[in-house]
Amino acid sequence: MNPYVLATLLFSLGLGTTLTFASSHWLLAWMGLEINTLAIIPLMAQHNHPRAIEATTKYFLTQATAAAMLLFASLTNAWLTGQWDIQLMSHPLPTTLASLALALKIGLAPLHTWLPEVLQGLDLPTGLILSTWQKLAPLTLLLQLQPMNSSLLIILGLTSTLIGGWGGLNQTQLRKILAYSSTAHLGWMVLVLQFAPSLTFLTLIIYLTMTFSTFLTFNLNNSTTINTLATSWAKAPVISSLAPLMLLSLGGLPPLTGFMPKWLILQELTKQDLAPAATLAALSALLSLYFYLRLSYAMALTMSPNNLTGTLPWRLLPSQHSLPLAISMTASLSLLPLTPALTALFTL
Amino acid sequence: MYATPHILTSCLIIVLIILVFPLLTTLSPHQRNSDWPLSQVKTSVKIAFFTSMVPLCLFLDEGAEVIVTSWTWMNTLTFDVNISFKFDMYSIIFTPVALYVTWSILEFTSWYMHTDPLVNRFFKYLLTFLIAMIILVTANNLFQLFIGWEGVGIMSFLLISWWYGRADANTAALQAVIYNRVGDIGLIFAMAWMAMNLNSWEMQQVFLTSEDLDLTFPLIGLIIAATGKSAQFGLHPWLPAAMEGPTPVSALLHSSTMVVAGIFLLIRMSPLMEKNPLALTICLCLGALTTVFTATCALTQNDIKKIVAFSTSSQLGLMMVAIGLNQPQLAFLHICTHAFFKAMLFLCSGSIIHHLWDQQDIRMMGGARFLCPTTTTCLGIGSLALTGTPFLAGFFSKDAILEALSNSHLNAWALILTLIATMFTAVYSLRLIIFVALGNPRTPRSIFQMNEVDPAITNPIKRLAWGSILAGLLITSNIIPLKTPEMTMPDEVKTAALMVTLLGFLLALDLGNLTGHQLKSTTQRPVHLFSNLLGFFPPIMHRLSPKLSLSFGQMVASQMTDQTWLEKTGPKAVTSINMSLVTTTSNAQQGLIKTYLALFLVTITLATLLISL
Repeated sequence: MNPYVLATLLFSLGLGTTLTFASSHWLLAWMGLEINTLAIIPLMAQHNHPRAIEATTKYFLTQATAAAMLLFASLTNAWLTGQWDIQLMSHPLPTTLASLALALKIGLAPLHTWLPEVLQGLDLPTGLILSTWQKLAPLTLLLQLQPMNSSLLIILGLTSTLIGGWGGLNQTQLRKILAYSSTAHLGWMVLVLQFAPSLTFLTLIIYLTMTFSTFLTFNLNNSTTINTLATSWAKAPVISSLAPLMLLSLGGLPPLTGFMPKWLILQELTKQDLAPAATLAALSALLSLYFYLRLSYAMALTMSPNNLTGTLPWRLLPSQHSLPLAISMTASLSLLPLTPALTALFTL
Repeated sequence: MYATPHILTSCLIIVLIILVFPLLTTLSPHQRNSDWPLSQVKTSVKIAFFTSMVPLCLFLDEGAEVIVTSWTWMNTLTFDVNISFKFDMYSIIFTPVALYVTWSILEFTSWYMHTDPLVNRFFKYLLTFLIAMIILVTANNLFQLFIGWEGVGIMSFLLISWWYGRADANTAALQAVIYNRVGDIGLIFAMAWMAMNLNSWEMQQVFLTSEDLDLTFPLIGLIIAATGKSAQFGLHPWLPAAMEGPTPVSALLHSSTMVVAGIFLLIRMSPLMEKNPLALTICLCLGALTTVFTATCALTQNDIKKIVAFSTSSQLGLMMVAIGLNQPQLAFLHICTHAFFKAMLFLCSGSIIHHLWDQQDIRMMGGARFLCPTTTTCLGIGSLALTGTPFLAGFFSKDAILEALSNSHLNAWALILTLIATMFTAVYSLRLIIFVALGNPRTPRSIFQMNEVDPAITNPIKRLAWGSILAGLLITSNIIPLKTPEMTMPDEVKTAALMVTLLGFLLALDLGNLTGHQLKSTTQRPVHLFSNLLGFFPPIMHRLSPKLSLSFGQMVASQMTDQTWLEKTGPKAVTSINMSLVTTTSNAQQGLIKTYLALFLVTITLATLLISL
């Protein structure tokens, strides 16, 4: 793509999110979301093949629906309460409508169905943006809503974790697996939203780090299916040896970083006297752990039969900059001992 | 004053020492000479017999019985196990009888097995068996009896499988061991019960302290033990199968000595059984069933040894009937007389088999009276004694039992069965004589005549013939009956046994006549098959119970435990439940925008409806 066009699009992407961060008026927030959507559309369609166009179309329709619903909710709130402030929504109907619209925006179950198909149609870097940057703005708005009906968010959260687990088990395409993993992690975030929003924020940041590493690893190996993962040991042996740990961190296994949010969320839920919900969420984490384990198994724990000379890795010069991957991989593997610092850091 | 017990005890211990001495000499590695069996073993048994005559005479003269407790073998605080011998009427009479029969059998064996390369070992096994049997009959406590019991069981196993290259011999030995073991469960149960409740295994203490207790359980245990050892119905198939062993083994173990051990146990424990009508009824009915069933099976057998084996089984049933009538002394009497003529029948069979160069099928025999006249004569004497011909040995015991049965107020069904069995005894004995001795030879093997030249054949048989004739008279004249026999009864009852036997003879002759005519176009298979195949008992039991237990074991172990509990309700349940949910979730992705928007609509509707609640 023309570098000027690319720069404009990326800049607009950042602008949209920042506008939403900075706004306290619903219309401004909505505007930021719309700029976000419009900016990423050309990025998604840049490769021009039918699958990408289909993904783009689906994304646009879903996000447009969500944005329209969000606008409707804020209008209803203005009609009913006479003010446009995001943090002062007090009527249950617009609150619910806005929550569900934002849920559709980020891909919470049962409104998750668009996410796997859209993500599958994109290449890995664009998918990365979709999975990470695009979640920030809607989650900001969700954090600021005061939900009237507490069970709605809990139901959304639990459903997301379960469906994220079950859906990912039947997949061989890596991007669909990552879509379901995104749903599951967003479910965890939403689960604890109304009890300890700082934990949501913490979970979000850690999830962003881990997903960032995952996407970049897959991009480095140029692999989009489990089968192509199997030859990654020959391309980049060190990354292939660390990747299982990163995937298990996504799965929430101690002593890796990914354990931190799950642990704190379960503790918070227990303190709020929601032990059955906590148990169910913990058990659903097992489901997603299984498919992360399957990925790490294919990547690093098995090798296809080969003679000895064929097992020597190619020593090629790396073609991509690996500094960001190095930083995020380190963060996603070893931040568990810094839990108190991180909790203090990401307090709202 | 003390001379009699001294002499009694010393003689009987000397008998044991004489018998054990040849066994001890086998412990040295020094090679024994070729006539060790004849010169050492047979001689020791002969000397032991004559030595045991001294206590017998003392008993007959003075009625002296002695109990010797020689050593406390094991003791705990409250329970002692001693070595103690009881030389009472039963063991004082049985020991000389057993030794006399064994002497004759050993002499016969020296001819019968003289071509066997391991004949020394054979004699050693027979001697070991004899010692175990003597231990059994002279035991004063159940532990010593159990030692003898197990000893005779093991020796039976070793001797039946003497020709172990033959698969049938091995399976027969296994049958013997397994059926005996099942019976042993009963004996061990009775011993455990007595150890727990009566605190001793010494018979005197058992009899004294069990006066007021309910003895049903240990008595049933003892009856099961007798069923196993004495081949009563239910645990009987091993006895005909045991005919795989050499004829001396059949003569010694499975006719005179080992198989009567079960009956002997019940005779020893008869003071316990007197007061328990249930145990007596069980013995009566079991004995009657055994005697008629095995007599039926004997009617159509074609192997000479099997006919004699079933005859043994039938007589054992009769002994059990005597015990069921609460007449242990009559049972003992029948044991002693039966030993003589049954051993002689077996030795005659062995002689005929050898003379016909190992032909055992009676359909291939005939005209033995030309080949071996002495043997055939004694065969006739033995059969007459068996059927209870007046004033031969079997008459005194058999007729006494049948009179007691007819005059009792007990089970009439048992009486009828026993009379039928008596009739069958006559039938199969006559059949045996007709096929074997009469007529003309039906096998070409008889042309190589041996003609009974060796006195080792005829002397034992003749000695046992004297015994078969005189033993009944001698024993009954010299012992004191412990129970009063019924002296007056109607003529028909008195002669019932005799009439039934004569009827049997006539029936047999008539049936034999029918073989010349063909009255039906096809043969009557079912009844003949029932009799010939032993009532189908072995095929059913030997296949059904292993099949049931093995399939039950497989069901419990692999299907119930492994498959069901450890797999299907555990890990595989998790898999199967989750698989359905997984496929549902991923099948919801059809690639249609309709799905996304429809789910959105439904969720919004539900949520807004739920607000109002």
